[in-house]
Amino acid sequence: MRISTFFYAFKQGFKSIFRNRWFSLASIATIGACLFLLGLFYAVLANFEHVVKTAEEGVSITVFFDEDLEESRILEIGDMISKRVEVSNVNYVSAEEAWEAFREEYIGDSSVIFTDNPLEDSANYEIYLKDISMQSTLVTYLESIQGVREVNRSEVAATALSGINMLITYISGGIIIILLAVSIFLISNTVTIGISIRKEEIQIMKYIGATDFFVRAPFVFEGIIIGFIGAVIPLGIIHVLYSEVISYIVVRFDMLNQLLKFLPVQVIFDVLAPLCIALGMGIGFLGSFSTVRKHLSV
Amino acid sequence: MQGPDYENVPSMNETSEWKPKASQSKSKTRKKKHLIEFSEDDMIVLQDVHKSYETGAPALSGVNLRIKRGEFAFIVGDSGSGKSTLIKLLLRELLPTLGEIYVDGINVKKIRRKKVPKYRRKMGVVFQDFRLLKDRNVYENVAFAQRIIQVPAKQIRKNVPQVLSTVGLAGKYKAKPRQLSGGEQQRVALARALINHPDILLADEPTGNLDPTNSWEIMKLLEEINREGTTVLVVTHNREIVNAMQRRVITMKQGIISSDEEKGGYSNED
Repeated sequence: MRISTFFYAFKQGFKSIFRNRWFSLASIATIGACLFLLGLFYAVLANFEHVVKTAEEGVSITVFFDEDLEESRILEIGDMISKRVEVSNVNYVSAEEAWEAFREEYIGDSSVIFTDNPLEDSANYEIYLKDISMQSTLVTYLESIQGVREVNRSEVAATALSGINMLITYISGGIIIILLAVSIFLISNTVTIGISIRKEEIQIMKYIGATDFFVRAPFVFEGIIIGFIGAVIPLGIIHVLYSEVISYIVVRFDMLNQLLKFLPVQVIFDVLAPLCIALGMGIGFLGSFSTVRKHLSV
Repeated sequence: MQGPDYENVPSMNETSEWKPKASQSKSKTRKKKHLIEFSEDDMIVLQDVHKSYETGAPALSGVNLRIKRGEFAFIVGDSGSGKSTLIKLLLRELLPTLGEIYVDGINVKKIRRKKVPKYRRKMGVVFQDFRLLKDRNVYENVAFAQRIIQVPAKQIRKNVPQVLSTVGLAGKYKAKPRQLSGGEQQRVALARALINHPDILLADEPTGNLDPTNSWEIMKLLEEINREGTTVLVVTHNREIVNAMQRRVITMKQGIISSDEEKGGYSNED
């Protein structure tokens, strides 16, 4: 393709948007509405996942050791644990630290009556998991290590969080597939109607001797530009809405703020912006490409 | 973008970039082996061409026809006699069910789909309903035919005004088709058909939507184009024009050629 043909096709595609402004508006509105719903759903979903993930990160497994176990062995066990794939972080809590923390939280100044450390054998590892569903595998492993006296974990929290996570994955996957299918159907219908009206234009070009590429290129550019605009508009609206809604919730419902930590808009848009733009442009491209194809056999 | 060059529009006699057909070199002689007898003078040859549509209804039933280079011929006949099917076959919009069609030595049946655009550029085509791009002005409609064959923009800016002046529309290059009369729209269609110097001009009912004055002007232009060396094939119902012009008349009836006369006219039974 010549550079001049490329620019010609691009210019014609751009001009066509204005020439067929009602069709363009309808297409942009359809793409915009579909991507707006998709974006909104993604923003809610990402926050929900974030809440679950935060909760998961707070769940830890505590490992206690046999009495009089040598410190070198404890360190060796720590090394072994931190090398496991299930593990995201391991904290060593010495007997002194454990007693210090206990004293601060439950006893206060009355602790002066204790001359020795009552939690002498309480040195432990606090283990945080990458994925809560891996807890049982890790616990089995930990219990099998020689020198480990006790492994404390919260089975209920792990099962519940793991279940919620699974549920979110299934529901979000389902809803995204439905939304995408509806979007593609609506958008390709709009594009099909818009291009079918210009069937005669395509025929004329073909009679004059235009190649399929030459006929198709301006339509494809038009589709891509419409898809891009149709993606950018809902992204802008979601950006404003998200920031506004989050600040409203944070100010209005202070109590919620203690429980929930919302994702910053930037984190949402790191995924949502390229996703929506790629979807909009992709659907615009595919819709126009396949529809023009139907009319090319002249 | 630089506008069209209307300052130095030459007359038909002046030498210019866009040259009428007579000053163009003749197409290369083809020495390919053909399935039928074929002389270098033949521009269009149809041998025993049959065309049936999917419904089974025959549109053409054994048409034999030879049109020489630089010839001017009318194709006349009632609606449904096969005239439009013939044009569609020549444009390679349809393929014959049986028989062979050669255009400028090319076996039309054997043209691959990808090569059809290049083949069509040999032809200029004019329709009864003009078929202009409605949202583009006169200049853009004509320039489009050059853009598709990738003529440089600078050359297009020279050629379009010249061909528009040939059809008498130099002053209306900015007008949209809806701002023009039927005759003017047909001239734009003619200019678009001519700008790439086609070997053949196919005109399907070019005067069908025009009043007598405009019809005659279009026919005069077609004659002039033919004088420059282009083979012109005109499908028409216009009895007066056919009888007055005394050119070859091919009459079609129920899918066959019922008469073919040099300097003929509309027969009485038609």
